[in-house]
Amino acid sequence: MAVISGKGGVGKTTTTANVGLGIAMNGKSCVVVDFDIGQRNLDMLLGLENRVVYDLVHVMDENISTKQALIKSKMNPNLSFLAASQTKDKSVLDSEKIKKLIETLKNDFDYIILDAPAGIESGYEHTIEFADKAIIVVNPEVSSIRDSDRAIGILDAKSQKVKDGQEVEKYLIINRINPEMVQSGEMLSSSDILDILNIPLIGKIPEDKAIIDASNQGKPIILNEDSEAGKAYKRVAARFCGERVDFVDVESPQSGGIFKKIKGIFS
Amino acid sequence: MFPWFKKKNSAKTAKDRLTIAIMSDRTNNSLPFMEELKAEIIEVVKKYIDVKKVDIQRDTQDGIEALSIDIELEK
Repeated sequence: MAVISGKGGVGKTTTTANVGLGIAMNGKSCVVVDFDIGQRNLDMLLGLENRVVYDLVHVMDENISTKQALIKSKMNPNLSFLAASQTKDKSVLDSEKIKKLIETLKNDFDYIILDAPAGIESGYEHTIEFADKAIIVVNPEVSSIRDSDRAIGILDAKSQKVKDGQEVEKYLIINRINPEMVQSGEMLSSSDILDILNIPLIGKIPEDKAIIDASNQGKPIILNEDSEAGKAYKRVAARFCGERVDFVDVESPQSGGIFKKIKGIFS
Repeated sequence: MFPWFKKKNSAKTAKDRLTIAIMSDRTNNSLPFMEELKAEIIEVVKKYIDVKKVDIQRDTQDGIEALSIDIELEK
């Protein structure tokens, strides 16, 4: 599964970390691979930055075996991680080698999640090339939605599965939903976004301040039992593991008491 | 006068604008050879007259699909 967005900064890496860990928490083996060469960040969000010895480029160069480069998460033994290179440039990515890497990982893991770089350049194309599925992350905001549609267009034109006459399954995650703004008509609702993009929804993640704290600490928000975003990612992970989980209305403000409602009227 | 009664509805504006922008993106990006085609047209026409730029649009009207090619000439 490739995690894509087109636009940067919409929560691709956060989604990769949380969905990966969530799948692992469901008892499935999962590996998350950072394809954002030169801008490695998944290691930070997973709290693994000090344990990176070898990265994707070492594996591509075949000096190092995939097993040597994989890092097992302390948070859940079912989750492994392969870092992006921070120094080399993305020209080191090579289709044949990526294909080989994915084949190797398939033998050892139930789920392989590739975190794509932002944009629609060669690094992005390499990430989606051998993907069976794509998770598209958007924010309820015009530039994110428009850019995601371009990224989807490239996915549908350039992935190997499409060239073989099949379809890459797509799953939409709407991230950073602000319920108050959706209610007041200032923010696109999930049904608006689904009308425009016309791909199946797998998750609606409300905006949550605790996300910053989670990344500060390198502990994905899914571990925070009290967080609405964390709970939403838990539901997404369960859906990917084949569970039927009803969608929760995250677009209505949580019952924050009368005070919050009054504040809402006057603001 | 009562600003808190004024209904903001910029989400509707966003949806309308996005629907149109994405529709036009999809038609214009559906031909991957567009840039090559432009370059070749310039080469052919240049044999006869100086060309400044070529613009190609793909349109569908009344079920008929067409490429409209605009060739801007050098003064």
